[in-house]
Amino acid sequence: MPGKSFLHKLNPLTKVVWSLAVITLAFVYQEPLPILSLWASVLAVALIGKVLREILPAIRGLIIFAAIFFLFQVFLIDEGQVVFTLVPGTGIGRITDVGLKACTMLALRMLAMTSTIPVLLATTPPKDMIVAFVEKLKVPYVYALMLVTSLRFIPTLQEELSLVIQAQRAWAYDLEGRNIIKRFLALIPLALPLLLMSVQRARTMAISMETRAFGAGPRTSLHTSTFQLLDIGVISSCLLLTAVLAVVSLR
Amino acid sequence: MEPIIKVENFTFYYPDSQVPALAGINLTVQAGEFLGLTGPTGAGKTTLALALNGIIPNFQGGRMGGRVMVAGLDTAKTPCARLAGVIGSVFQDPEAQLVAEVVEDELAFGLENLAVPREEMRQRIGAALEMVGIASLRHRSLRELSGGQKQKVAIAAAVALRPRVLVLDEPTSELDPRGTLEIVALLQRLNRDYGITILLIEQKISVLAPRVPRLVCLNKGRIVADASPRQILAQEKLTTELGLEVPPVTALFRMLRRAGVYHGDLPLEVDEGQRELGRLLGSRASRA
Repeated sequence: MPGKSFLHKLNPLTKVVWSLAVITLAFVYQEPLPILSLWASVLAVALIGKVLREILPAIRGLIIFAAIFFLFQVFLIDEGQVVFTLVPGTGIGRITDVGLKACTMLALRMLAMTSTIPVLLATTPPKDMIVAFVEKLKVPYVYALMLVTSLRFIPTLQEELSLVIQAQRAWAYDLEGRNIIKRFLALIPLALPLLLMSVQRARTMAISMETRAFGAGPRTSLHTSTFQLLDIGVISSCLLLTAVLAVVSLR
Repeated sequence: MEPIIKVENFTFYYPDSQVPALAGINLTVQAGEFLGLTGPTGAGKTTLALALNGIIPNFQGGRMGGRVMVAGLDTAKTPCARLAGVIGSVFQDPEAQLVAEVVEDELAFGLENLAVPREEMRQRIGAALEMVGIASLRHRSLRELSGGQKQKVAIAAAVALRPRVLVLDEPTSELDPRGTLEIVALLQRLNRDYGITILLIEQKISVLAPRVPRLVCLNKGRIVADASPRQILAQEKLTTELGLEVPPVTALFRMLRRAGVYHGDLPLEVDEGQRELGRLLGSRASRA
């Protein structure tokens, strides 16, 4: 991962500052078009960072999420002119112009804000995140370690889940019932072994950490978190640009 | 000379258990020994390993009696962190015992905990990787490594703390035969070249027997045998009782012995058996 693009070389906290700047602007803007361009700028950053293709599935998921958000809200706003009715002649499924605009804003705002997260994750190794948080933000090491360790276990858990599914299938366990309640209940025989395996594994890990002097007292770190000239440049331009754009749009 | 490991009349009950996991264990190991430890599942092998590295009783509660001394430290009265620099541990599951994402960081973990300065840390990581023979893996992601490579990383992570003793609890149980032999050969090298005392818990007797000078057998929480593998494998009653998987070549020569045809040492490996068989047939042919 390191050295792929300038985005990968930045300090993780610089990218967090960028992310916060995008969130701030998403709240400042009150028109769809500026927010749309804000979102476009996030995708442009991903493109320059050579991770656009990599994060595309995540972006697609966020778009679906935003669409669901939009659909849930759009029928609930009564104000303004009615532009569309789902069942003509009745009040059911009425959409107004005010509602349409407000919900478009909501969906776009959410998209612009959340799209920075996949960019952040795709360009930052978790251990760099730990070092930056512990060294620069003084987050206690144990919390940072917990976060990263849980991230590390996700692929292992996925492997174990497919193992459990295969085992239950071998016992002719039905996982594909049509009834939604039955399907939900069918998850329990999957979740239980997975949970027990994780508890066992967590115990082994705790013992393994204990035998390597975990919690012995103050600790040192192999890696260090530094701000380069590039970081300072990016942070100051982020802050400056956000301030200028905010003042212009709020006037 | 003071023995490196001295277990004196050690008894341990897990919480809420009426049956002792270990009962009246006495074991002395001299510095530089390579010791094999075997026995059926539930015999107390893991419990003994955990008592040596201080997890019992510091981390795992329970009732205990007797005393465990490692390099002159009473494990019950010494914090695990202090013991970490004396005795290193490697476990069965290569996945669960690794905490980092990159090999180098895995080795750094223990050193960081002991607050080793950065420069010294780099150097010790390099040295440990060299000792284990995986210097080329230094910057690799742990996710990409095979089970055997992961176990080597776990061994290197223990070695980086410069322990005098290594305890390995069935480190090869999830490995294929080739991976198993590689790990055992590596441990022999660490023992011979660096003088690290090794205690290897292992079910695969055919791998263990030809390579360790001393084998300790546990059953139902007690030590039932402590001798050379040859002496232990000669006792048919004992090996049956323990369910030890006797190497086929050894079993064959045991039969020859019983039949009164063979009187020499029991071979533990096929090569050795072949040689003995050749000698046996040769002497019979010359007599006839």
